[in-house]
Amino acid sequence: MIVEYHRPEKMDEALSLLARKSPITRPLGGGTQLNAPSDEEVAVVDLQSLQLDFIKQKGKQLQLGASLTLQGLFDFKDIPAALADAIRHEATFTLRRVATVAGCLVSADGRSSFAATMLALDAELIFQPNNEDTSYGEFLPLRHDMLAGRLISQVNILTQINLAYEFVARTPADLPIVSVALARWPSGRTRLVVGGFGAAPHLALDGQDASGLVEATANALNEAGDQWASAEYRMAAGEKLVQRALERIEVEPGV
Amino acid sequence: MRIVLSVNGKAHELDTHPGQSLLHGLRGEGYFSVKHGCETGECGACAVLVDGQLTNSCVHSSAQAEGTEITTVETLGERPGQGWKLTEGLHPLQRAFVESGAIQCGFCTPAMLLAAKQLIDANANPTEAEVREVLSGVLCRCTGYVKPVQAVMHAAAVMRGDAQPGDWFTPTELDKFFIPSPPDAGSGSSAPAGSSDTLVNVLPRVLIAPQTETWKRVGRPEVKVDALKLVQGKPAFTADVEPRGLLHAKVLHSLVAHARIKKIDTSKARELPGVVAVLTHEDVPRVVYSTAGQSDPIPGPLDTFSLDRKVRFVGDRVALVAAESADVAERALKLIEVEYEELPPILDPREALKAGAEIIHDETEYVDFDESDAARNLAAHIHIDIGDVEAGFAEADQIVEFDYVVPKVQQVSIEPHVAVTHWDEDDRLVIRTSTQVPFHVRRQLAPVLNLPIRRIRVIKPRIGGGFGGKQEVLMEDVPAHLTIATGRPVIYEYTREEEFIAARSRHPMRVRMKTGVMKDGTITANEMYALSDTGAYGCHALTVAGNTGHKAMALYVGDGKYRQQPNIRFVADVVYTNTPPSGAYRGYGVPQGFWPVERHMERIARTLDIDPIEFRLKNALQIGELQPFSTAWSEGREPSPEIIETNGLEECVRQGRAAIGWDQKFGNSAWRELPGKPHLRKGIGVALVMQGTAIPYLDMGGASIKMNDDGSFNVLVGATDLGTGSDTVLGQMAAEVLGVGLDDLIVYSSDTDFTPFDKGAYASSTTYISGAAVVNAAQKVAERIAHRAVLILNEKGDGPDIDPGEIHLEDSRAIALDGRSVTFSEIGHHSLHHAKQEQIMAVGSYVSPVAPPPFAAQFAEVTVDTETGMVIVDKLVMAVDSGIIVNPITASGQVEGGMTQALGYAISEEMRYDGKGVARERDLRDYHIFAAHEMPELETIFVETFEPSHPFGVKAVAEIPMDGVAPAVGNAILDACGADLEEIPATPERVWRALNLNK
Repeated sequence: MIVEYHRPEKMDEALSLLARKSPITRPLGGGTQLNAPSDEEVAVVDLQSLQLDFIKQKGKQLQLGASLTLQGLFDFKDIPAALADAIRHEATFTLRRVATVAGCLVSADGRSSFAATMLALDAELIFQPNNEDTSYGEFLPLRHDMLAGRLISQVNILTQINLAYEFVARTPADLPIVSVALARWPSGRTRLVVGGFGAAPHLALDGQDASGLVEATANALNEAGDQWASAEYRMAAGEKLVQRALERIEVEPGV
Repeated sequence: MRIVLSVNGKAHELDTHPGQSLLHGLRGEGYFSVKHGCETGECGACAVLVDGQLTNSCVHSSAQAEGTEITTVETLGERPGQGWKLTEGLHPLQRAFVESGAIQCGFCTPAMLLAAKQLIDANANPTEAEVREVLSGVLCRCTGYVKPVQAVMHAAAVMRGDAQPGDWFTPTELDKFFIPSPPDAGSGSSAPAGSSDTLVNVLPRVLIAPQTETWKRVGRPEVKVDALKLVQGKPAFTADVEPRGLLHAKVLHSLVAHARIKKIDTSKARELPGVVAVLTHEDVPRVVYSTAGQSDPIPGPLDTFSLDRKVRFVGDRVALVAAESADVAERALKLIEVEYEELPPILDPREALKAGAEIIHDETEYVDFDESDAARNLAAHIHIDIGDVEAGFAEADQIVEFDYVVPKVQQVSIEPHVAVTHWDEDDRLVIRTSTQVPFHVRRQLAPVLNLPIRRIRVIKPRIGGGFGGKQEVLMEDVPAHLTIATGRPVIYEYTREEEFIAARSRHPMRVRMKTGVMKDGTITANEMYALSDTGAYGCHALTVAGNTGHKAMALYVGDGKYRQQPNIRFVADVVYTNTPPSGAYRGYGVPQGFWPVERHMERIARTLDIDPIEFRLKNALQIGELQPFSTAWSEGREPSPEIIETNGLEECVRQGRAAIGWDQKFGNSAWRELPGKPHLRKGIGVALVMQGTAIPYLDMGGASIKMNDDGSFNVLVGATDLGTGSDTVLGQMAAEVLGVGLDDLIVYSSDTDFTPFDKGAYASSTTYISGAAVVNAAQKVAERIAHRAVLILNEKGDGPDIDPGEIHLEDSRAIALDGRSVTFSEIGHHSLHHAKQEQIMAVGSYVSPVAPPPFAAQFAEVTVDTETGMVIVDKLVMAVDSGIIVNPITASGQVEGGMTQALGYAISEEMRYDGKGVARERDLRDYHIFAAHEMPELETIFVETFEPSHPFGVKAVAEIPMDGVAPAVGNAILDACGADLEEIPATPERVWRALNLNK
């Protein structure tokens, strides 16, 4: 439950609020997560006046403000088609207009298609204060600790990365039971992320090339059984999805 | 904190708190078009425009909205002409929604309108895909999205100047859709997998019966009588009131599946400022009852208390709180300390009947019904033998036996359960509730509250969907107890989580089918055993299971001599478990029956190498034959033989197979393959189904009609329109009899103080039972009008005296054979003011001796990913004989919405529990229901027959769409890839396992 609301005009003010020990204070992006019912009593710092809803192309880098909405990113013409697919799969039209890039990355569970693709793209998070940067992969397992007193202000992804996203779900718009996001750099570097289960998407492979993808998928999924699907099924389906993603990435340009 | 925001151009200063959602902020300011459907932004009913952007106000705080401009539907447009005040009238979107039938329950309509407005403001010429995309965040459980999408497309065309408003139903258009002849064979087409690029028409095809052509109101696509208020977002629903001094109720739900409450300490909760009352089992009368909303006597065990010393599922009630705000009430729940003595839970129905199993209902007050046996965890038992089943098996060339499983699923009405109670000035308890059964609520709660029936008034406002979930006296006792305790008005509104953990759902069943069949395809005997899981309480336990057999096992009687003497056995055990109670859900046991029956028929046909449609029709029930179960079982009354008078099943098959292109696709291996996609396979499947229409000799409908000065009429019906359009079709029947337009009627439902008794909206009975009651009342009023017309005409003396029998009613006039006439306005004034004054008024009621079944052929086309098991349903076709179709718009809306719910039953929806009975599905993220942008193409065809037991020849339409989608999809999956499923939903893993089993 939200017990305090702040809407700072300046970053310093926001950071000082977030640095408080009590009450627990969290940044509020779109609010789709924090405004939902919760037993936790929190103060929120609304980021809407901090001008963090930008999207900029700087050379080979796409810079996304933390408060950029998913729809804002979806509408940007130069994002990979697979990233657009993942955004569309992440949230409905209405939620996309409010949910923010950073908010989704912070609150993502293993079924988040957006988080899976951003992890595959090796997204870089910029924290305030001090413009410190951390990869999304490093951030995910430690997200609550890493946010203490800090604020994600920006998310960077590289363009010119080929990206494919494949999933299996009960219906076309349902949450994935198993998903794969496959990214390949011009150098051949290949990152594979599997999702559809657990607390966060799982990086299965970060290699110089695409060798070992199938084995990596099996390794990542061999203990992925839960109430929604068995590990056996996820391994079998995941293997097929990886093959399809690989085929797609070889025939379709990414950015 | 105080904030300022602008709503519809008007500045508002809100006294709010940081945690207040914009939803509650806006509703607190009186913007009741903004609806509460969930708390997580999933359903979208709360959407408003914030600075022009569609925003879910339940997950947006009032504080966040400070300084923004908010738009709600209240500002969109209004009824053209409000007395002396001229208005700009409805917005083209509103008008299109009204005219197209896009509004069923109307709960999601305001959000849909705003979504569409945002789209059209930015894009004057949207594609259908773009329309579906913007509607994707607004879930609708009624329409299947067909008509809302068309409404938006049409409104955009009007706003561009490409179409004229109101041109949906010109005579030319109607001629196009009402076809007296069948479509060309082979016209079937389908949209690409997973897309919805094909525009559909809001009017279905109707093969009309000759009688329909003679009527002016019945059979016409009249605009719904309640559409105007709903499209304007008027405060029509239960929660759209805010009486002074209103308290908010919350319920403490059990966190354990099975336990005795050793101790409850509520002292800390009571001390919390703002808390007005806390009630436990120690505070309220211990009255055993059933929550199943059914006629007296309840055909099931009495096993429920408002609050009990024992909890029987995770979500069961422990304590009730009333507080000055919902937030305070919520906080108070956390302060209640409960000490449990945990008991072993039974979570698998197969464990319930085992010797030594824990007894779930060991209370001494338990009242058995029929063969229920609490000591064995048995809520109901049915054993029906028709003919000589063993002899039938002995005569068979082959016996086919298989097991099938159907899941527990939720109704998911977008409006949650909600009730508001208060004492009126006469110390009568007023219960304003979103219910399908207002009269049952009054009768069944009276002993629970220790009030006589006469001191309770139940008002049913507009209902935001029910689907059987509100055929339950589920939660009205909570605010009622708290009003009694505090003397103050109380509102209790379920959260979406409560809908999943503490409401009702469809009974899950494990079914074994055994069928004897000859080599030529003749069924010699058919047997079904159903193990049904009623959960912690036995509401609807007997009757739901009874219908599983009564309808699903009645369709196939066999051929030849077996037609006269079918051999059918139906046995059911309905057992208690420590899971949330099952209950009534649209279809009422019949969908559970048709999954096994129609999968089984498909398997038998394929085993015998007989065309599956031919095999079905060879054995299916025909006109002139006895409904086999009618002599064996009935809901609550002695069975009575019923002959099938109408059956359009063969024509339904003919129409449906043509529409889906069956003859071109079935058995066509080339068609099954998709070029360049070897892992995908297309398939086609069919299921034939039947339902019932009402409950014979038991359920009664009532209506009264009163004439006003101006020749208009008040039509007061006890029936409850839960979004189906029943107020409209009942009005159409009255209008037909009275010779008036629908605009001349003011239809009102329902209020136990003012409207005649009606059993309520269930059992597919409203059009048939309540409709006959309306016709009955209208005929009596018509007779009085004729007498009054004769009085007036003979008084005038400008012709020979005439007799009432020479009068007919047409165009709001009473017309004599010689052409002299008198207007209804003259009659109204004359009867009320001028001479021999009388109130022209009549009451009608009706109980049926029969339950004529509707029949249908349902077809599905699917694409299966043979590597992952994922199924995309591409197209659903339903050709249905529901008798005469009173309103093709509302009826097709029923079919489209029903098919969509059934689609979820087929491939995605289920409620599951962990080893401690904790629900996996607690919100609409995990319990996914179909959204607008992922729908298959839907096609509806009506094959009219004239059912002679009803004055307008109607049969039911509301429930039968639920019955055949799942088996048609299952059979299509089999056709596509050989995966022979026994269990639904057809999740990717289940299909994948079935495929591997096949390999």
